[in-house]
Amino acid sequence: MHWSELAIELTLMPLVAFIVGLFMVLMMRKIAARLQRRVGPPLLQPLYDIVKLFSKQTQTSHGLLHEIGIVMAVGGYVAAETLLPVPGMNGVAEKGGMITLLYLTMIPSLGMALGVGQCANPNGSIGISRALTAMLAYDIPFVIVIAGVAMHFGTTNLVDVVAQQQAGGIGSWGATQMPLLALAGLFALQGMLGKQPFEIYVAPAEIATGPMVEMGGKFLGGLFVMQCFQLYTAAVLYVTLFLGGGENWITFLGKSFAVLVIPMSIAFLFPRYRTEDMITMLWKWPVVLGLIGLVFVGS
Amino acid sequence: MGNANPAGLGPASPLGGIRPIGQAGDMLMLASLDALMLVALAGIPLSALLAGHRLGRWLLVTLYVAQLGLLVTLAPDTTAHSSRLAFSLLGNPIGWQLDALGWYFALVTIGAAGFAAAFAAGEWGEVNGRQGLSLRWLYGGLQINVLAMLLLLSAADFVSLFIGWELTSWAGLILMLLGGGEAIRAGRRYIVYAIAGGMAVFAGLVLTYAAVGSLQFAALQAAAPSLGTGQLWAIVLLFVLGFAVKTGNMPFHLWQAPAYAYSPGPASAFLGSISARMGLFAIALVAFKLIGAVQLDRLVIVPDWVNLRDLLAWAAVFTAILPTFVAMRQNDARLLLGWHGVGQGGYMLLGLVMADSLGSAGGLLHVFNYATYQAILLMAVFAVIHRTGTADLNRLGGLVARMPLSFLAMLIGIIGLAGLPPMNGFVSKWMIYRSLIIEGMPLLFVATVVSTLGTVLSVYKLLHNTFLGQLRLEHEHVREAPWSMTLPMLLLCVVVFVTGVAPGLVLEYVAIVQQTIGLPAVAYTLGGIESPAGTLDMLWISGVLFAGFGIGALLFYLMGGRSKRVHQLDNYAGGHFLTADVRYQYSDNFYAGLMHRIRPWYRDSFAWAESALVSALGAVSTLARGFFEQTNPAHWAMVGTTVVMTWMMWHALV
Repeated sequence: MHWSELAIELTLMPLVAFIVGLFMVLMMRKIAARLQRRVGPPLLQPLYDIVKLFSKQTQTSHGLLHEIGIVMAVGGYVAAETLLPVPGMNGVAEKGGMITLLYLTMIPSLGMALGVGQCANPNGSIGISRALTAMLAYDIPFVIVIAGVAMHFGTTNLVDVVAQQQAGGIGSWGATQMPLLALAGLFALQGMLGKQPFEIYVAPAEIATGPMVEMGGKFLGGLFVMQCFQLYTAAVLYVTLFLGGGENWITFLGKSFAVLVIPMSIAFLFPRYRTEDMITMLWKWPVVLGLIGLVFVGS
Repeated sequence: MGNANPAGLGPASPLGGIRPIGQAGDMLMLASLDALMLVALAGIPLSALLAGHRLGRWLLVTLYVAQLGLLVTLAPDTTAHSSRLAFSLLGNPIGWQLDALGWYFALVTIGAAGFAAAFAAGEWGEVNGRQGLSLRWLYGGLQINVLAMLLLLSAADFVSLFIGWELTSWAGLILMLLGGGEAIRAGRRYIVYAIAGGMAVFAGLVLTYAAVGSLQFAALQAAAPSLGTGQLWAIVLLFVLGFAVKTGNMPFHLWQAPAYAYSPGPASAFLGSISARMGLFAIALVAFKLIGAVQLDRLVIVPDWVNLRDLLAWAAVFTAILPTFVAMRQNDARLLLGWHGVGQGGYMLLGLVMADSLGSAGGLLHVFNYATYQAILLMAVFAVIHRTGTADLNRLGGLVARMPLSFLAMLIGIIGLAGLPPMNGFVSKWMIYRSLIIEGMPLLFVATVVSTLGTVLSVYKLLHNTFLGQLRLEHEHVREAPWSMTLPMLLLCVVVFVTGVAPGLVLEYVAIVQQTIGLPAVAYTLGGIESPAGTLDMLWISGVLFAGFGIGALLFYLMGGRSKRVHQLDNYAGGHFLTADVRYQYSDNFYAGLMHRIRPWYRDSFAWAESALVSALGAVSTLARGFFEQTNPAHWAMVGTTVVMTWMMWHALV
């Protein structure tokens, strides 16, 4: 591949991810609104929110690390998007693979944790302790899923995983071949996105006592951008592992949005779990499902 | 690059034993190993002489640079460099030679000692020397350890191996006892374990001699395929168990963390980063180079299902998991790191026993990577102790603005320890993960990731409780550690980063080590691993990561309003304005929710088993002492003799 083509791909991939992510945030709010019999926000509301947050007059920084934390949170995802193959663009996906992607997506969380830690607010620190505990809870079933998928397709290269599924049609999709792992993956997704019943570590309803307590203005704006990337990454990764990736942009986006409808619909029907109950829940059901799924992959 | 077989290397010698000396090149090399040993030996009296003065200590640092230089002239290939040092025991020639395996571990050993020596050379030595720490013993002990390890690493037969093994064990004790107080109790516990391990190694040696009739490595190498399964079981188990005591593998893990943690700073950094790896070296040598993976697979526990390597892999993975979660509970930063050291040893053994090209390379690479970031982390903790006087994670916090360089060092260190890109810890762990998946061991893979996730939690706690959160008022005027302490840390950070972005630099040597011990060499590139089942190119990964950070920075700093920085002590918590003298740092029981869930799983069964064993031994020794303190031992002797004679007569008659 010519370097200019690669440069274009590396620029486009995060950009598309951000724009699609904005619409995913919009969809999430629309679903919430409909379930609560409201109209919901207009089309460009997520963008307006980001612009508003960035242009606030009061922007309180608690030090350099507070700022760098936001830079890492956004930058880590910008980098991660180039490892996630989309129709027509592979970026540097073949230089890493799914394990690398899994670990790369921990960088934004680390950045956020550093930023919150610098703020010296005990509520922020408690929030991070919960967020990291939650990560330990949802990543274990998710890693079982990754192991099963990698073994099934005989590779950790996401480009190959997509190619194999597209060559074989729906019958060869991860979800058809490994339904139990796909189900376990959905559970993990719910935790990964921090949606109800697992949203206590984000504490969106009690912002003054959650991890976001010291985040105002563009600090919160940066985390909003991060959320767009996060929704996109989780959905696209799931589509890549289980739903055959994207043959073209229409089916690709269709699948990605459809995947997110499930956790979002569940989210607004459920109350919340405490972090430790989240551990019990995620270490029990998806792990058992995933392990049974692994047995099928292995045999 | 991109070549599995670095230029000019032939296949590994099947015997790899002592090579005939005679070529001019060999003579030169031979002189180098002897020169290295001599410099290391000379370093001991020089340490006693010079360590009292600042300039003298820096001279001792240059002595390590010289040792490193001499080692580099021995650049490894698949042949071994012999030493003139040799004698004969019971007709067995005893000698020393350094092959690529020993060279690789020696590189880390001398490097770690050099950095530790530099860390203590300036203000640290000055201050601690005034407070009564014997710098002569510290520097002398460091050099004795290096020499002992060199002797072990260049062992050419079982006698020199055993000599090196024992010297290393006892040399470690010198550094441990320097700490005083807690350290003495930890050191005593260590030496009991070390002696038990040494006895197992000695028993293995005797058994090998009985089975093979020689103490030469080559003899066991040649005889291994024809050994009976029972003999092989006994030899392998004795050696591996003996060596595993040193690596702190479960169930021998209890001694390590306190023994390393309570040593004085530089000694702790040295011991923590390399000492336990001598056990891994010995396992690689005896189990893989001499006996071989093929022979190991004859040791089947359940036919077609579990063999010795599986058992070791599971022992290794439990060693990776449990100590990690023990580390998470620690409130002393040194102990936290000590426990992680035990856990990281599990990754190395796991990678090695995979015995494939990728996994074993990952395990061996992890030795280097771990040593670099563990040294940074321990140095950073001791820098904090130097300035604040404590490593108690509940009595620190908010030091990031006071000690930014130490913070940066610890940050890079924890990214390495947690195994996140772009630091070197990620690469070696990635290789182990990939190997486990491709070799069809998903459960082991999941288990290693559980350990890694636990590490992420634990190291964030370390960083947060030390450098983030609320600054205590008494630390308001704390200064950054002096350059003599920050410079070694930052240099090591460069190593951690560069070998993370370009792991091929180290993999070049790892591939040679693999060939030396009879394992398939890894197919590496400068940026990582080339493989049809999934490539890793850290040059690209790091490139996009930093480009991403760049974009993030542009977005943050160029767009939107200007942010206004407030003073570090200007805080409010949940709407309550607080003054700086109110302590509200969230540090104790940091992962309360998680601990609430997993606490019932901690039963301290190993500590219980250890104390039960100690009590049982105590009872036996009390009985024995009771016997000897009898007023009339002759009475018992007579009874005993009568019993034996009756038994003999009975046999003679029947």
